[in-house]
Amino acid sequence: MHTFHKRKIIVVFLGSILLLLALIGRLGWLMLGRSEYYGKKAQDLHERERSIKAERGEIWDRNGTVLAANRTVCTVSVIHSQITDPERVIRVLTEELDMEEEKVRARVEKRSSIERIRTNVPKETGDRIRQQELAGVKVDEDYRRYYPFGNLASTAIGFTGGDNQGIVGLEVQYDDVLQGTPGKILTMTDARGVELPDAGESRQEAEAGDTLQISLDVNIQTYATQAALQVMEKKQADGVSVLLMQPDNGEILAMVNVPEYDLNDPFTLETDTVQMSEQEIQDARNQMWRNDCINDTYEPGSTFKIITASAGLEEGVVSLQDKFFCPGYKIVDDRRIRCHKVSGHGSENFVQAAQNSCNPVFIEVGLRLGVERYYHYFQQFGLLEKTGIDLPGEAGTIMHHPENMGQVELATVAFGQSFQITPIQLAATVASLINGGKRITPHLGVSIWDAEGVLKEQLEYPEGEQILSEETSSTMRYVLEQVVDGGSGKNAYIEGYRIGGKTATSETLPRSANQYISSFIGFAPADDPQVLGLCVIHNPQGVYYGGTIAAPVIRDIFQNILPYLGIEKEEIRKKDGASIQ
Amino acid sequence: MLLITVLVLEISGLVILYSASAYNGRVRFSDAGYYLKKQLFAAVLGFVCMWLISRMDYHKMAQFAILAYILSMALSGAVLLVGDTYNGSRRWLSVGPLSFQPSEFAKPAVILFLSRIISRKEKMGNSIFSLIWCVCLVLPIVALVGTNNLSTAIIILGIAVILAFVSRPGYLQFIWIGLTGIGFIALFLSMEQYRLERLVIWKNPEAHEKGFQTIQGLYAIGSGGLFGTGFGKGIQKLGFVPEAQNDMIFSIICEENGLIGAILLLTLFLILLWRFMVIATHARDRLGAFLAAGIMAHIAIQVILNVAVVTNSIPNTGITLPFISYGGTSSLFLLAEMGVALAVSRWQNRQA
Repeated sequence: MHTFHKRKIIVVFLGSILLLLALIGRLGWLMLGRSEYYGKKAQDLHERERSIKAERGEIWDRNGTVLAANRTVCTVSVIHSQITDPERVIRVLTEELDMEEEKVRARVEKRSSIERIRTNVPKETGDRIRQQELAGVKVDEDYRRYYPFGNLASTAIGFTGGDNQGIVGLEVQYDDVLQGTPGKILTMTDARGVELPDAGESRQEAEAGDTLQISLDVNIQTYATQAALQVMEKKQADGVSVLLMQPDNGEILAMVNVPEYDLNDPFTLETDTVQMSEQEIQDARNQMWRNDCINDTYEPGSTFKIITASAGLEEGVVSLQDKFFCPGYKIVDDRRIRCHKVSGHGSENFVQAAQNSCNPVFIEVGLRLGVERYYHYFQQFGLLEKTGIDLPGEAGTIMHHPENMGQVELATVAFGQSFQITPIQLAATVASLINGGKRITPHLGVSIWDAEGVLKEQLEYPEGEQILSEETSSTMRYVLEQVVDGGSGKNAYIEGYRIGGKTATSETLPRSANQYISSFIGFAPADDPQVLGLCVIHNPQGVYYGGTIAAPVIRDIFQNILPYLGIEKEEIRKKDGASIQ
Repeated sequence: MLLITVLVLEISGLVILYSASAYNGRVRFSDAGYYLKKQLFAAVLGFVCMWLISRMDYHKMAQFAILAYILSMALSGAVLLVGDTYNGSRRWLSVGPLSFQPSEFAKPAVILFLSRIISRKEKMGNSIFSLIWCVCLVLPIVALVGTNNLSTAIIILGIAVILAFVSRPGYLQFIWIGLTGIGFIALFLSMEQYRLERLVIWKNPEAHEKGFQTIQGLYAIGSGGLFGTGFGKGIQKLGFVPEAQNDMIFSIICEENGLIGAILLLTLFLILLWRFMVIATHARDRLGAFLAAGIMAHIAIQVILNVAVVTNSIPNTGITLPFISYGGTSSLFLLAEMGVALAVSRWQNRQA
């Protein structure tokens, strides 16, 4: 054997060693130098984050009655690879969950990493299944939103979706407060996503959401809802909205939009959905969830004369004793605008004109102010802006541009036509005009409590501007009390109470449809308003005058809630006053 | 010494294989030991073969070299016609419940065949023609195997070149061969789009969808660090590294046993190569020397290429890690080759 063979064998060996050493160097670089980078990437790949739902905060009414809470429900699922006795699993689950055996069997026998058998299982059932200690059966607890009062104040409260997120109403407005912080469980999984049993898991607990207390009063809301339902049924109306608020601070005591819907089952429509397309069903649901008090605008009609009167009195273009004559119409430019009383109210002073809700007189007051000053007051009273209520989807005012406003437009605006505002805007504005002249922000949210029941935050609303002098405000209270005492609002009169208010009947667009909106806005006591109510009846059949059908609703509600609110009758107050003297 | 090293390698190989394959076995065959059992069967068979061969006179064995070579060509040809396809490659011949990979047989056959041819040509001319002739001898089998198993063809070609190198005194012409080889590889790569694609993946596997296997291997290696996650505790083998029991098994070793474990394993291979070198240089005759050198070349090429692929040092090509990766045929013939090396070693001891 030649020595060069040996030499060359050694060369091959040394060459191999060299290459192997180079590879070891490469390994060292990968495993030490790049270890952090690749290790992190690998970990990201292996770790699965499972979130733990946070318990959603409750919603309470002003007295602490629970309006929205949570119920523990369970999700039952099976892990195929862990099942040892499939027949027993199928039998127990079929019995406990009250399901068809084939359905359960199909899911139990399906070769998948995890198969959901049923969600929203009551906690008791979940506990019973868990006690059976079936291998491969998982019972996960979950929270589900629950509304103890069903459909009470549904359009205001709103509901949540499957992921604990608010969808409409207060639930979405205060989502940040209510939601809490979800926790998470980090687990290691294999490539198919199956959790590794022996790999430790790290847990980060969920933080429950805060409780929201609102100004609504369940009793008042319930009564207002009943009253609204009654008149809706009696007048075959499309819908009735009732708003009750404290005129001094804007706290809403009741917000009713009948028909309401069931918050515990918000997706089911009242009507038959067989013939409806997917889009139609969704539209119908959105319609059902609408809060007419804030989502929709309407022509306010004669209730808006309160605004015209306030502006006229404040500006001094009219006084209570001013004499007017109503021939049943008023000519503005080339138009002849009729009064609702065709024969005319004849001779009357301003208070009587208010009692009569006389259109020509209010047109006259509007014209005396002129476009510029009228628009100025419209703006000053806050009517151009949104009220800022703490509910989603507030509609804005639809109003003429001042440069496009002629005498005719001014005249129609003066008695509440040719522009649109929301019911909440009307209520908030009138409340501000009669409460001494301070603009208020209507609202529901009052305070926030943490999960342990400790007060966390008192919600605050912007300090309102003085939009009307106290003197004029007081005059307005007097005028509106006269309307109820002996005018068109007399149906709202309650023996022993001083009540102010104004009726309205407006025809919806298009006028040819002959559909009406009847409304009444009232407050009590007239000399020191503590509650203000607005009732809006959409498309009533038969008699549609606001004074005839809407005023009694507010009277009915006031009659019941004034004593409840601790507002005593006038004679009693007088007697008390006398006894003190 | 060689026997002990082989034993240690084979046993640690089986243990590692079990760790790497238990998940895939459980998922696919509901049996964590599925791969281990098959491999164990091949290993036992292999050790028997090894023992038998080590008792034989390798000179007598060499008389069947041409027959073995022709047989391996026949089998490689047969697999093209009637082979079974697994994982997209037609590489297996089935005989009853057993399946057999002819390309694995081709490697020892070529070593035996070339060693015999070269050793018989006592006066090897130094002309380039005898060298080319030597490579030409193996071209038929390289072509046959290469049609569906490029990696094995490269290994066979590599063994042939190294044997030619060892058999001839010069160096310069091998540098030329090396350069032409690189030229050929470049030409070969540019011929097919998918081969060029491999190059692109190699440069930046993370940016490429098909770099998945490479990336998962790198994740496994990187997760290992100095000491590894602990034996059996790797996660990447749980379906992340595709076919963790095959070509990529070294990445699992790195993940579980760390840099230390990887270096230990490579050291075992180094000892093995060293032993082959010692046997080759101490062989009594040229046949024994070439046989041992061929086996050394085989193991060296496979280990280096495998580790290079797993560490993404070269573009991806499917090469198994000797004694460790799953593969019955491979295991059987590797052990048979060890038997040959042992026979050479035994012969030289007896003569001395």
